[in-house]
Amino acid sequence: MREKVLIVPCSGIGKSLGSVAREGAYVVTEELCPDRTRLMPLALLVLDEKETRIELSSAEAITLDGCVKACAAKVVEGAGGAVAHALQVLDVCRRHPNLKPSGISELDESGRKLAHALAEEVKELVENMTGGLRNA
Amino acid sequence: MPELSTKKVGLIACSGEEIPEGTVTRLAVRKVLESLRPQHTVTICLPLFLAGGEGDRAFARYYPTIAVDGCEKRCAARGTEMYSGKPAVSVVVSELAPANSSGLGSARRLSETGMQVVNDVAERIAAHVGQLLDVPWDRRSGLSLHDSPLREEAKPQTAPCSCGSGIPVKVVEVAGRQIPLVALPLIFTQFREAGKLPNDSTKTELMQAARIYNPIPHDEESACAEAILREYAAFCQGSD
Repeated sequence: MREKVLIVPCSGIGKSLGSVAREGAYVVTEELCPDRTRLMPLALLVLDEKETRIELSSAEAITLDGCVKACAAKVVEGAGGAVAHALQVLDVCRRHPNLKPSGISELDESGRKLAHALAEEVKELVENMTGGLRNA
Repeated sequence: MPELSTKKVGLIACSGEEIPEGTVTRLAVRKVLESLRPQHTVTICLPLFLAGGEGDRAFARYYPTIAVDGCEKRCAARGTEMYSGKPAVSVVVSELAPANSSGLGSARRLSETGMQVVNDVAERIAAHVGQLLDVPWDRRSGLSLHDSPLREEAKPQTAPCSCGSGIPVKVVEVAGRQIPLVALPLIFTQFREAGKLPNDSTKTELMQAARIYNPIPHDEESACAEAILREYAAFCQGSD
């Protein structure tokens, strides 16, 4: 059985785009592709626990970063994980210039829409990686 | 003119996206930052911290930090200690609110109970912030310095700072001992540019400014104040 794709969002709490990344990860793992994806908290990777290392080494990851510093992608790679796709919320913003998210603790409507747009892009990537529309 | 920021406390939330307690950490820290202690706190971005954010690491070496974790794994506290210094305070939500995790709601959406826990944790963090700003604190051990003497172990001219900018240090003689005081050169420059003369009134202000950046035990305050004033007088005369 193929391992689930790991969805690793930025866990920053200082910018709206970090919240968009997090919300997008929830949409993917809870609504769009719950059977093929698993959310992995970034903070967990710092502990370098055996269980986490095994999980990282046996599955590919899609990282969702809220800014160009790309912490999620860097941390996953640093922990020995395979980043199949490193997405930037900023890129999704450029594709949806009408959506200007605000709010951190709670995203506004624009932020939630952007998170869904991000999640749809991730869903396509997951389908390509896992082959077919198993969850559709 | 150099800018001397007021001492602040860095807040590091684990933000664990997998469990509701992680969401509690995130929302509680935001509440402290936005409404409870906005003047005295900054957030240190855990992912950036882990990914090599030198500025964030430097801040946590220099200022007291509070790690706020969702569970006993203590990712934020351990990450901070690994990459910078031991947090002055470690708050763990699952220890403060040991009730069934599901009562808090989901990681994505907290329940009313979960939001109440957010408020409780935020209040707890805010109280710790107040204590940290009042109590001398050892950035290496994370312990209070109320009862310990001033450290003499190093006499650096510049406090090591991973961002490379360096924080200037002035070594002063207090009761026959050489004591490094962080940021004193900047304080002196700022005071001189403000036209403050080296007198008793200025001595009090100098001590207040120095205490923001340095743990000074109560029983050494008087000797330390005299030493700082003496150095400031020399600085003003250009003989420093």
